[in-house]
Amino acid sequence: MFYTIIEQVVNGIVSGSVYAIVAVGMTMIFGVLRAINFAHGEYYMLGTFGAWFAIEYFDLPYPVAVVIGVVATSVIAVVVGNVVMQRIVGAPAEAGVLATLGVALILQNTIILVFGGSYKFFSGGYIEPVTLFGFTLAEQRILIIIVGLIVFVGLELMVTYSRMGKAMRAVSQNIECCAVVGIDVRHIALWTFILGAGLAALSGVLTAPVNVSVYGGMGELITFKTLPIIIMGGLGNVRGTFVAAMILGVAESLVATYVGLQFRDTVGFATLMLVLMWRPHGLFSAQARF
Amino acid sequence: MTIELSRRGFCIGTALIGLQTVSSSAFAARSEDGTVRLGLVAPMSGPNARYGAFSLRGAQMAAKEINGAGGIGGRKINILAGDSQGTPVEGVSATRRLIDQDQVDFIIGDVSSSVTLAMQPVAEDAGVLLLNAASSNPKITYKAGVGGFKWTYRNYPTDENRALIVLQYAAEKKGFTKYAVLSVDSDYGRAAIEFTKKYLPRFKSQILTEDYYKEGEVDFRSVLSKIRDAGAQAIIMYGNADSSPIVGRQMIEVGIAGKIPLIGNAEFNTASTIKAAPKAMEGAIEAAAWLPAYDSEKSKAFVEKFTAEYREAPNNHAYVHWETTHLLAKAIEQAQSIDREKVRAALSKIHYASAVGEVTFDDHNQARLPMILLEIENGKPAIKGAYSAEIDYPK
Repeated sequence: MFYTIIEQVVNGIVSGSVYAIVAVGMTMIFGVLRAINFAHGEYYMLGTFGAWFAIEYFDLPYPVAVVIGVVATSVIAVVVGNVVMQRIVGAPAEAGVLATLGVALILQNTIILVFGGSYKFFSGGYIEPVTLFGFTLAEQRILIIIVGLIVFVGLELMVTYSRMGKAMRAVSQNIECCAVVGIDVRHIALWTFILGAGLAALSGVLTAPVNVSVYGGMGELITFKTLPIIIMGGLGNVRGTFVAAMILGVAESLVATYVGLQFRDTVGFATLMLVLMWRPHGLFSAQARF
Repeated sequence: MTIELSRRGFCIGTALIGLQTVSSSAFAARSEDGTVRLGLVAPMSGPNARYGAFSLRGAQMAAKEINGAGGIGGRKINILAGDSQGTPVEGVSATRRLIDQDQVDFIIGDVSSSVTLAMQPVAEDAGVLLLNAASSNPKITYKAGVGGFKWTYRNYPTDENRALIVLQYAAEKKGFTKYAVLSVDSDYGRAAIEFTKKYLPRFKSQILTEDYYKEGEVDFRSVLSKIRDAGAQAIIMYGNADSSPIVGRQMIEVGIAGKIPLIGNAEFNTASTIKAAPKAMEGAIEAAAWLPAYDSEKSKAFVEKFTAEYREAPNNHAYVHWETTHLLAKAIEQAQSIDREKVRAALSKIHYASAVGEVTFDDHNQARLPMILLEIENGKPAIKGAYSAEIDYPK
């Protein structure tokens, strides 16, 4: 009994790490652009497709495929960032919703058009199970937890010490003041967006070996998993996102075990409602972004 | 004033729509171009798009063969595809589009039971023959023929037969009595379990845990470890092919691969699924309407031709749509007309030699078909026989 609970918590932490890497990008984009990026899951999908393409067509090893997936997605993010995202800085909220929904549809359908709508089999990665303290986990899942930690420590350091990070924090706190003191807000917005999309892609390529199937519509699910996390974590709050992602991962895992797998997807929004009843601004303050 | 105007607008609009309907049905007579317009509703996009692609290819290959041989009484088959996206709502609009705009003569569809159940009343209202080739929920033919919907036919075995055959094999040949359920949360997955439960007492068996997954689910580890701890001897899985490799890989992770086999139907026998998780798929038991390894001359010729044409081995959906298109063509040929009423009558009396045996329809418009039972042995599907069972229609 106790062993099962611990095992489910470990399972939840693995899922939470994946959610955290995707959600942190989305929350940073919200912080800077004040727009919920409904196309976020599509960057997760693009990263996975990039890696799948590299393995399937060029027979490249998995680590190289990871780099290709992330780089390819970042390149697409540069284009989308310039054409769409930069324009929604300071625009009304509905402009951001419509623009990002449009981008999501275009990206998803382009992939379906190019590669077909069917499932693809992702063959890379390290899926051999290893036993640690009596628990069995695929090597890939350990990798996901490690990368998740590295990403969060790296982000923390970046936003605290680097010039770009400080600028991101400043823009997230007050766009007008940043513009007054000469910070190029559109430039910061573009780079935040590229960073966010790149992180979503990284999460996609890391999970592809354990999720096995790759298809054009896979991003939608991720976007809707990510939404409650970023709201729960206090929109725009990086640390809050990490905690919220872990809460959701563990809650989902326990619900799937003790209530039923079919109720797993309801957990996110149910937890969100409970948290918002208790703390209407989310677990962490939206004022203390990054 | 505003109300007045909008009312007037509404009346004019309604009149225009009425006029449009009258004109389209009066002037766009069906098949005046001398073809057979065959609508095919299947998931062409979304998570089940793979099935739609196979279905369309199967039907297109059959149409090509029929057209190549001179058509049906000189009429060529023209396939018009409608995308259901695997959801009832989209399936119904695709069906309506095919009937109202494309003026199809007949419809084949859908793959998903939930979609087919929603399409049935639409086809019935329009008086268009709906021939199902791949849905297995028993309710589809409970409601058809003497059950009510006279325009719905099904050329596919039902889950009730499948549940019985699988359970019988698992109990009698493997000695299993304790099961865990992990099926897709749809009319297909749920009905299969409902009928499994009906036959459990006959084999003195029980279900220990019961879980249903949403399409697109990728994390099964929590449930798989629960199943391991519950002491189940086998996992009953009625699901989609795309989840099988994920479940297989995660079975390896939680350490139950090779110990607790999968039984039911979720394309365990597909080469890519076995390749994804060979250890987990070993010993998997499946009842299928058809599989590429089926040993009949017609079936082998189909596999060879399909593989040559599309550079990919056909799956069950490609086969059933290929066979059903041929079956419909034969009914049209026997009716010597594309008149829907005559074709329907011909279909009810048909004796069609399919690759798995002769097809005839019962009074519920359900084809009498065997199911093929297979077990994965040494990484390959081994056929354990073809089984038939009469359907026990509710009174």
